[in-house]
Formats: sequence, C-alpha cells, structure tokens
Amino acid sequence: MESNELEEEEFGFSRNYFLAKELGGSSKKSARKASDINLVDEQELREAYAKLEFKHEKEINNLVNSYRKSYAEWVFMLRCGFGLLMYGFGSKKGLIEDFASTALTDYSVVVINGYLQSINLKQVTVALAELLMEQLKTQRKLENYLKNQQPFHTQSMDDLISFLDGPHWDDGESFVCVVVNNIDGPALRDSESQQYLARLAACSHTLMVASTDHVNAPLLWNKKMVHTEFNWYWYHVPTYAPYKVEGIFFPPILAHSGSAQTVKTASIVLQSLTPNAQNVFKVVADHQLANPDGEGMPLNNLYTVCRERFLVSSQITLNAHLTEFKDHELVKTRRNSDGEDCLYIPLSSDALQKLIHEISQ
Amino acid sequence: MAPSADPETSPSISTSNTDLQPFFLLHKAASRKPSSKTRRRIDLSPKASDASAQEYNDNSRFETFKLLWSNTESIIKDVLKNLNTTVFDGIDKWVHASFDAIRACRTPDFTTAMSMYPIPNNVPIGAQIFTALLFTKNVESVDDISTFADLGAHMRSSGCLVANLTSIDFSAKNGVGGCLKTLLRQFLLAGIDAPEMSILASWYNEQENYDKPLIVIIDDVERCSSSVLNDFILMLSAGLRLQYSLTCKWKNLAIDREWVIKVPIILVLGVATSVDALRNILCSSACLYLSVCEFNLGTPAERMDAVIEAVLLRSCQSFNIGKHVATFLRNYFLRHDGTLTLFVKALKIVTAQQVFSEPLSFVLRKLVNEEGTEARLTFLFFLFVYHLIELLYTHYLIFQGLDGDNILLREPAMKRALELPSLQRFWETSGNSIDWVSALSELKRLHQLWSSLVMCLYEIGRYRKISLLDLYCEMLKLKQQNFGANDLNLVEKDYSTSVHNYQSPGCLLDKGYIVRAFQMLRDLSAMELCKILDRWEMLTRGIEKIHEKVKELQSQITLEEKRSRHDLRKESKRPTARTYKNDKTSNSTINEKVASFLQSMFREYIQTIESIPLHEIIFFDNVDNLNTAKYCLSGQLYFALIGDPRRRIQADLLESRKFLKCSCCSKNDGVLVPSMHDTSIMYTLVQEHGDLINVHEWFHSFMAVISNPPLQAKKKLRMSPSPKKRKDSKEARTKTDASIQAVTELQITGLLRMPTKRRPDYVQRVAFGL
Repeated sequence: MESNELEEEEFGFSRNYFLAKELGGSSKKSARKASDINLVDEQELREAYAKLEFKHEKEINNLVNSYRKSYAEWVFMLRCGFGLLMYGFGSKKGLIEDFASTALTDYSVVVINGYLQSINLKQVTVALAELLMEQLKTQRKLENYLKNQQPFHTQSMDDLISFLDGPHWDDGESFVCVVVNNIDGPALRDSESQQYLARLAACSHTLMVASTDHVNAPLLWNKKMVHTEFNWYWYHVPTYAPYKVEGIFFPPILAHSGSAQTVKTASIVLQSLTPNAQNVFKVVADHQLANPDGEGMPLNNLYTVCRERFLVSSQITLNAHLTEFKDHELVKTRRNSDGEDCLYIPLSSDALQKLIHEISQ
Repeated sequence: MAPSADPETSPSISTSNTDLQPFFLLHKAASRKPSSKTRRRIDLSPKASDASAQEYNDNSRFETFKLLWSNTESIIKDVLKNLNTTVFDGIDKWVHASFDAIRACRTPDFTTAMSMYPIPNNVPIGAQIFTALLFTKNVESVDDISTFADLGAHMRSSGCLVANLTSIDFSAKNGVGGCLKTLLRQFLLAGIDAPEMSILASWYNEQENYDKPLIVIIDDVERCSSSVLNDFILMLSAGLRLQYSLTCKWKNLAIDREWVIKVPIILVLGVATSVDALRNILCSSACLYLSVCEFNLGTPAERMDAVIEAVLLRSCQSFNIGKHVATFLRNYFLRHDGTLTLFVKALKIVTAQQVFSEPLSFVLRKLVNEEGTEARLTFLFFLFVYHLIELLYTHYLIFQGLDGDNILLREPAMKRALELPSLQRFWETSGNSIDWVSALSELKRLHQLWSSLVMCLYEIGRYRKISLLDLYCEMLKLKQQNFGANDLNLVEKDYSTSVHNYQSPGCLLDKGYIVRAFQMLRDLSAMELCKILDRWEMLTRGIEKIHEKVKELQSQITLEEKRSRHDLRKESKRPTARTYKNDKTSNSTINEKVASFLQSMFREYIQTIESIPLHEIIFFDNVDNLNTAKYCLSGQLYFALIGDPRRRIQADLLESRKFLKCSCCSKNDGVLVPSMHDTSIMYTLVQEHGDLINVHEWFHSFMAVISNPPLQAKKKLRMSPSPKKRKDSKEARTKTDASIQAVTELQITGLLRMPTKRRPDYVQRVAFGL
C-alpha cells in the first residue's frame, strides 16, 4: 500500500511542476515593475529590522521552549555517534546555542557562524585542537605525546585532523563539540569546506551539531559524507524565529538597488571579511580620500600596491576580493579617460572616513 | 561570551557581538564529573536525588546502546569480511606471484636501487605495473569504503606494505604531488612537505621494509581526475623521463628511474563499472604500462542478505526490527538508495531510538551479555523476579547481576514492565507478579524457531533467487490466522486475494514470496531436495523437535532413493516412458511430504510478532508517528534518516498555525489572516502563482492581506474617523519592512530564485507542491 502512495506522491510532485509552468506561460504576464513599489533605502530598512516587532513572539517562545524536553534525547544521540542536523523554518541559532550551553556543559563548545562570508576552517580546527589538548592535559593523558609536539597553527590540516581523530587516550569521553549555524551558509557551500567539515565531524574526539535552512542543503553532500562522516541524525525543529543575523548578508530585493551604501551596512560586511580583504579595501579608500575628485583607482595600481604590501600574492586573489566587494556594492568600476578600469567606493568622503575609522577599531 | 542560559527564559534570540565573529568559543568543558564508567552503587532510598538518577539512567542507556551496537557492528563487519575472504585470498596470491615475477625480473639491491642510471638490463615485463581491477558491481562507492579498508588490513596481515588512497587524493587541484604526499604519509607515517619518489625509494630500502610488496589501493578509480591518474601511472613506470623533463612542475621528483623495479608498487584499483572504464580514464600510453588482472566482489543484494541473516536472524537474542520498519527499509533499499551503508545506519538509529524510548531496553543488555548461557540467564531472571516483588515496596529496585553491575529500575520502568500487553498472559494469578522466567524463555524459544524457519524457507528461495530481505519482510507481515489454516492452499488463496493490486516490480508481495517458495519446494528435483534437507539439518541444530523430524525426512529420502534405484534396475527392461512417470510420481510424493512438513512447522511454531512476549522491547516498530509522516510508514525513522527538508520546510510555512498553536490564526483555517506569520503569508501567496511571480503584484497582495484588519478592528475604525496621517505612514512603513524581511527569509530557505538582470521584476519558484 505504502509503495503506491509513494508513487502517487512522486507523480503529484512532477504534476505540480508542470501545472505551475503552464500557469506561468498561459496567464498574461503582468507588466508591473518591481520598481513601482514605494521603496525604501537599504539603510533605513536595516534600522527598521532591528525595531520590527515580530508576530507571535509568545508562541515562538513556547515552541522553542518545547524543544527543551528533547535535549536529553539529542545528547544521547550525540553520544551514540550521530551528528545532529537541525532543520525546519525559522532561525535555529538561539535554539542550538541554548542547547549547547545548557546540555553540553561537559564538553567545550565552539560555534561557527556559517552565515558569515569568511570562515577560515583552518583557524577553527586549530582552536578545536587546542581545546582538546587543554582538556587532555588536565586529565594527564598525553604525557608522551606532548614531548615533540609542534604548535598547532604551524601544522597542516591533515595533521590537525589526525590529532582530533587521534588514538583513544582515554575512555572515549574527551570531546570537543562543534556547533555550526547554517552549515549550508554562503561561505561553506563549496565542496572543499564541506569535505573538511565532514572530516572534522568524523573525528573520534569531535561532536557536531549543525543547523540548515536551505531546502536543497542535502545536495551539498555525497552519501559517504552523509552516512559515514557527518552521520546525520535529522531533527525537524521549526522555530519561526526571525532570521535576524542570518538575513543581514542577503541583498534585499525590495530596497533601492541604486541607493548609496551606507557606513553601517558596509562596515558589517567588511567586518565579516578577512583582514587582508579589509586592507585591500583600505587601499582603495585611501586612494579615494587622497584624490577626492579623481575617477577612482586604476586596477593595475591597486594590484601593484597590494602586492607591495603583501596583501595579495596574485591577480586571482585580488580578483576574489574585488568580486566580494562588488557583490556587496562596496566598490564599483568605471572607465577613466585613458580607458582604464577604475575602482571607486560609492560613498562620500565623510562617510568613507567614518567607515575606515569603524573598521580600524 | 555566550548568552547565559537561564532555564526560565526562552533560548535567547538576541544579537550579540559574537554573531559577527566567524567562530567563537561558547564555553569550555566543565570540570569533569566522576567518570561514567566507574560503577557506583546508587543510593537506594527513594530520596535519591532525581538528577543523579537521571544521570544514571542516561549512562545506563548509553551503556546498553554501546553494548548492543558494538555487538551488531562487529557481527556486520565479520559477515562482510567473510564474504570477501575468497576474493581477498585470490588477490593475495596474485600479489605475491606478481611480486615474485618482478623480483625474478631483476633483483634490486641497495646500491642500484638508489643510483640514477643503471636501467635494468633484462626487463621482460618491461615497465609494467601489476594492476588488479577489483569490480565492485556497485555504483555507490560508499559501501566499498569498508571493503577496501578490509582489503588493506588483509594485505598488511600477509606481510605487504599498503596505502589506501581515494579519488580525493587524485583531484586535479592537488595534482600528482598531492597524491604522492598522501602516499608517503601512509607509507612513512609522517607528513612530508616536498614529496619525492626518492624518499619512498630510500625508505623502501630500509632493512625492515625491503622484500615486501608495496600495494597502492585506489577506491574508486572512475572518480579520479584522469590527468592526475595518468601522471601517477606514468611516473611509476618508465618513459616518463622524456615527457616530463621538459614540462614537469616537479622537476625535483627524480622521475627518471625505473620505479617499478626499484620500488615494486602493485596497484589495486576499485572499478564500479567495467574494464572499459580504465581505458576511458587513462591515455593509451598509460594503459600500456598496466598488466591487468580482474577480480569480482559480491553484489549489494548478496551482502544485504548476508547481513540480514547474521544480524536479524542468527543473533536472535538481541535486538530486532518490526514489520513496518523492515518494509520501509526494504523499499528504500530497492527503490532509492541501494546501499548497505544506509541500511546499517538505519539499524543504528533504530537501536538508539529503541534504547532511548524503551525504559526496559536494559533487558537487551542482559540478553546480549548472557547469550548462549541458558542456565545463567534463567538464574539471573529468578533474581530479577525476586527484586520485582521487592519493588512493590520501595518503588526503586536494584538489580545485582552476576557481573557485579547494578541496574536501578525506577518507577516508570516498572510500570512499563507491568503494562506490556504482551506480558499479560504471563501474569500469575496467585503471586501478583509476572512470570518473567517463562516469558523470557518463551521469547527466546519463539524467536529462535521463527528465525530458523525463515532460514529454511530462504534455502529453498535461493534456488529461484528470492532474496532474504523479501522473505523476511513477508514473514513479519504474516497474520496469525494464516497458520491456523488446515492447508497452505488457504494461505495461498489469502495471498492471491490480498495482493492482486501490487503490480509494479519491486513491490512487496508481488506474488507472495512464501507461497512461491512452497511451490518451488514441490518442483525441486530429488538432488536439490537432498541438498536442502542437509542444509536444514544444519540450520535446525539445537531445536530438538524440528531437528528430529528433519532427520527423519532425510532418512526417508535416502530410503526412497534406494528403492527407486532398485526399481530402476528392475524395470530397466520395461518401456522407458513408464519408468519416467513412476520416477516423477515418487519424487513428487517426497516433495509433498517435505512441503507438508514445513507447513506443519509453520502452523505449529510460527507466531506473529505481536504474540511473542516482550516483543515491545525486542522488536523496534515505531508506528506511533505514522500520522506525522505523510507518505511513509515508520515516520520517525524516515525523518531521522533522510530529513526531507524540501518537503518539510514548505509544510512549516504553509501550516504555520499547526506549530505555533496561536489562538488568533487557528480559528480561520485555510484563510489568510493578517495575524499570521509574515513569511507564511508570503509563501502561501506564492502558491497562487505559476513558476514566475511578479514582485509588484506579490508585494501588493501581501500588503492587502496584512492591512485587512479583523472585523472588530474595522468597527473601531469606523467609529473613530480621524486617524493620524503620520501614524498611517509609519504603519505602512512597518508593513513594507515586514514584507521585505519575509522575502529575505524565503531567500534563506532557498524557496525562491531572486530577480535577475534579464527579468528584474520577477522571482521564480523553486519548489512545487508538498
């Protein structure tokens, strides 16, 4: 019986798809423009978000609180060797951090904010290795191992992972826990990051709790990763909590796309970038401040300056930074009179100074 | 640093400065409590604090799980290893033969191995690399990870030096240097920054390594980057000198030597498809260097059957799965996944869920511990009964087992024990307690009988390729009344009426596997029948009643055979047609006898799972959550295993009132009301569009929904006709903000594709229907 239902479901799914396609094609397409809507500035929007009152706050709190009785089960599943993957609509950041800080007190917990643009997994792994080392030291389990040990930050990723996966010095109860908010976040979507995360999750001394929001998140992993490395145990925990931080980095569709970037947004984006990227931005900013009437900094000049200051090692890395800037409209290009591509920041000098001041803090 | 957790308040949804850090330390491990391993005697008094009892429960559960799972896992490992032993032995023989061939070709010594150019003078096998192709017959490489690890271990145990590489090591990004690095890492057990073949050569020539074959195993050759694999093979063999001296990035690799001779590397390549795969990946010049030998692994279905036999049928004292779970797993295996890994993971989840949710699951621990020692088991449960009675007074019970550990039974567990429906039969009228001893021995006996009969049936099914998985699922589904029938024909009839609507292939009960097996039994030749009876004789050892009867049947068959031979001699002069007929009738009578024997066994000994005492503890069959899972049975397992975020996130949005349980929205079922969650309104509106949604219209319909005030508010509005304009504009602004936030949230969930430059006014739907 159930197999028939299954087929029925599958057919239903494809039928829906074609119906929707048909509907889109046949009905007269509306010619109304998105820009007709009375739009607001992104800056104002961001400010409004913070003040926005969300509906059903009480119910959301009740819902989130109701998950507390599952904490014991979650811990049990973690100990059994599964990774916990929380999914369902709503921000789960508050929930899993609460879970970690109340139910996982026996383990050190490191939180990765996957919704940010720049995450260096090597640094995370170093931090994890240091925590584990500290934990093992207090239990005096490592005396022989410590003798000829390099500092962790000089070790390769493979060495770090094999340390975390290391031999069982103890009763198998020394763990560090990794909490990943939005494991499907923009910075973690490439396969290399996911491979590293999977290898981290598979280590014998790590536990992993992660949340995912995207409906297609499972496409990030192959079967080996899902079933043997992450070993996910899926939990459906819709919270309906607003995606406050997670939403910051999405360019809103209903804001004025041409409106000037403001200091606040720019600084949020910049702060989430690597120090090198920030410094590249500063180079452009300095140039613009020095030549307020100029057309911007020629690309070649920027590359030379950045190379001299050891900010980038190749044109490719510089381009990667610039793509990031352009995506967030921190920097724009225009041709100068010589036909060169010039980079400029669409901010007034005052605003720019303020921005530089903010990110230098 | 972290938002401090106050149990009274809700989990904070606050934005703090840690939100913008890529990562941060939430907290460090609290000072460790005394290890869970140290077995403490828990305070017996009812005053014992709840927290410590809870902790004890947790630890007890975990210990149970650990024991059960390590038991199951080791069974699975052994089974898979045994399945592959013959192939592994074959590879082993071939490796040593190849190694001898290489060495016969030229005996390397310390001086020549390290020198640059004496290219060996007689190289009949040239620069050929001995390569074993191991066909996995499985597109999913995930099942073979353990196979290759086992192979590595097997080869190591027979004195080889082994490195296990995967396709990740052969990625285009890292190039041949990357795979060399991993190779050296595995052989030398140390990380090396500048990988060079000469390092491997000098290491190989150390005394303890010399004289051993070097084996490089590559899991899934089809997924390797072909250029890297080509380079690797060319590097291993001769001829690379010319090509590389000009272009090589790794000039210092010192590749211009006959590595095959000096470092006798033998390759074992895992291939999922066919021998052509190699030709497709490698260039012809690289192919020339390979001297290929082929080996075959078993199919996934074979492995599955072996695992089921070992885990679910043979080790019948431990944990098992019920019919819904079994059917779900079978269907998922056959139609979607096809990997044993998922099946094993599902078993693990099932074990964990059962141990966690069943307060009496610690009984399983006892069963596993005491497997095979009947006397001890009985004694143990005498003690158990004794303490049960004690419990009536104290509400707490400590159970002193033979191995010295304590089990604290708390009230809920006891209550549960007394309420198990399957135990009601074992209530003793006089003592007001349950006859645990007979309940448990009954459980064990029935389970054993059940398993051995399934195996007997499977022996027949093997002749016509009926898989054990199918038989197993069907046996679990059998209903009690079928066994009461006087003739199996009734059972057959029952099936033919109940299963006629299952037409598609892969569906369970296509024609009733059990019925088919019985039919086969009637059609088997005398030889096959003899073989089957021999197998049955082995399978039923330890079950006296059945065993005796099987032996009887065996002797009858041998008698019949003798007689028929005798008759044959006698009748050899008579017309042959009649002999043939006679032969056939005598044969069919024997078959009929065997069939009716099996039938009677079924009638007598097979009970439905539900009538087995304590089945609640032993069989995991989570049917409680049937209704939550829309389209599959055993919902909890399904969602824990696969998640299905695509469907469920949409359902969250469309049915938000179900989860939020608010008073304001749930009244108006199915109608959009302004009080609903913004994103939910937004997504429900999406459903009204085709695949493209005009942002402008969408936005306005959203505004219309949320500014449509409920009736009461409308009345008020009418009564006070002077609303402040400023307030209005502020409200409108808030609504816009809300809509924008809702769109952003839909963006995060990936349910919409954002406007592009080509169609700036439209968003696109990604998901259609639940």
